[in-house]
Amino acid sequence: MEFIDIVLSISDGVLFGTTYALIGIGFTMIFGVMHKINLAYAATSIGGAYVSWAISTLVPLPAILVFLISAIAAGVIGWLVYLCCFRLVPLDTPLTTLLATVGMLIFIDEVVVHETDGMPQPYPAIFDDVFFEFGEFGLRGDLLFIFVLSFAAMLVLLYLLYRTRLGIATRAVAQQPMAAQLCGISIERTNASTFVITGMLGGLAGAMIGASVGVLSPLLTLPVTVKGLIVTVIGGLGSIPGAIIAGLMVGAFENLFLALRGVTERDMYVMLLLFLFLTFRPGGLFHRSALRD
Amino acid sequence: MLEVQDVVTAYGKIEALKGVTLRVGEGQITCLLGPNGAGKTTLMLTITGILKPRRGSVRFHDKDITGQAPGGIVRAGIALVPENRLVFPEMTVAENLRAGAYSRTGSAASEIANDMEAMYNRFPRLRERSTQMAGTLSGGEQQMLSVARALMARPKLLLMDEPSLGLAPMIVEEIFQIVRDLHKDGTSIFLVEQNAHMALQVAHHFYLLEQGRVTFDGTPGEMAEDEVIQRAYLGTRQTA
Repeated sequence: MEFIDIVLSISDGVLFGTTYALIGIGFTMIFGVMHKINLAYAATSIGGAYVSWAISTLVPLPAILVFLISAIAAGVIGWLVYLCCFRLVPLDTPLTTLLATVGMLIFIDEVVVHETDGMPQPYPAIFDDVFFEFGEFGLRGDLLFIFVLSFAAMLVLLYLLYRTRLGIATRAVAQQPMAAQLCGISIERTNASTFVITGMLGGLAGAMIGASVGVLSPLLTLPVTVKGLIVTVIGGLGSIPGAIIAGLMVGAFENLFLALRGVTERDMYVMLLLFLFLTFRPGGLFHRSALRD
Repeated sequence: MLEVQDVVTAYGKIEALKGVTLRVGEGQITCLLGPNGAGKTTLMLTITGILKPRRGSVRFHDKDITGQAPGGIVRAGIALVPENRLVFPEMTVAENLRAGAYSRTGSAASEIANDMEAMYNRFPRLRERSTQMAGTLSGGEQQMLSVARALMARPKLLLMDEPSLGLAPMIVEEIFQIVRDLHKDGTSIFLVEQNAHMALQVAHHFYLLEQGRVTFDGTPGEMAEDEVIQRAYLGTRQTA
């Protein structure tokens, strides 16, 4: 294997890693606001992509609209997950919500399998016929598009969090829920809006994953759930910058080992990376618990 | 202006408040004394709607606010400076103030900006640190911020839960000066305090809460003469 192949696999991995970053942000934001893990999050994301696929089989749509529909659909699914697993279920027993989200993960998967007979379905891509060459180095157009779109979504999220009333409310609830209530901020409404926002991010990520693979398959939910959780842990629970960096890292890492060791060994090395972090830096890249009182 | 009538608030089976009745007069500084675990904080959280009482009523300006959501109570005009300050540690000082004005959906942005300016004038240290994360402030500065954040809601009645807790004597003096200033500017204040000597200097009326019940109700003069309070809260030596 030549050096340039290593560079190429890493750069492709970083570009694709933005989808993991989006999924990681979703996990980490829900954890930040509610201090709970939503294991149905990746299923929400893939579920959104499936809804957009289903609509595109009824009406022919340009790919970009399909992606947008995926985001909106996943936002709605995210809200339903919130209602079923966090609003109607008592919050004071941590295992209840966790198991409810596992149930939701399986439920969404089963609905998808039922509706598609478990067969992979074609998903549209953008710029998959474009390739940018710089001498020996090159970038896939579709991956570059994924990278740009994902980063645009992250910028919109940061704008929401740091420049709007909704953002003040979200961060206030995450940092000090009782004081947030005393300021007149509704915790339940903030929780719900967090599920909708993260759902939309996830729906976009789900669409990007489908677009880069070229198909949607129910087999995607489990690996995306696992990668999302790994990204969250490596980034540091509750840290958005951590999730972004960890997402790119995991993307690069898995693609590198895909090139070096092949597809069957790839995920073993990703698990090894997680193991190394859990051993040597269990709080992740951006450890935050020290700042909470 | 605030009337608490026979309020019972419980955590599970344990009743922290066992029928509390008291009133806070308009334009006054009312002080609630009591040992740890007496239910003082529980009462504050019940008035502000964080906890729901099992029985009894809370009336504000002759309107029943019992069991309302905290947002509605802030909008009605009651703000709490919570125990232990509870600033938003990873938000800047300015953002903490903006969060304090969250309930004022009817106010124009310029009006809120004016109020922030007024807070910076009242607490110059906050202006110096307006872009700093609140978690990096000293205890005294965080207490100022917590007061300023509550004031950003433009309350008619300000509740303060042990604002002097854990602060150096000089800072405590400063906090009580702020209490006096706020009162002079027309805000009614309901103050929870363990520092009876300091409270004697500012308050117009006293309640003593013990084991979830009001066991004393009187003026500063009556309080200073009460033997039990003498022994438990004022001691024989003057420490203030």
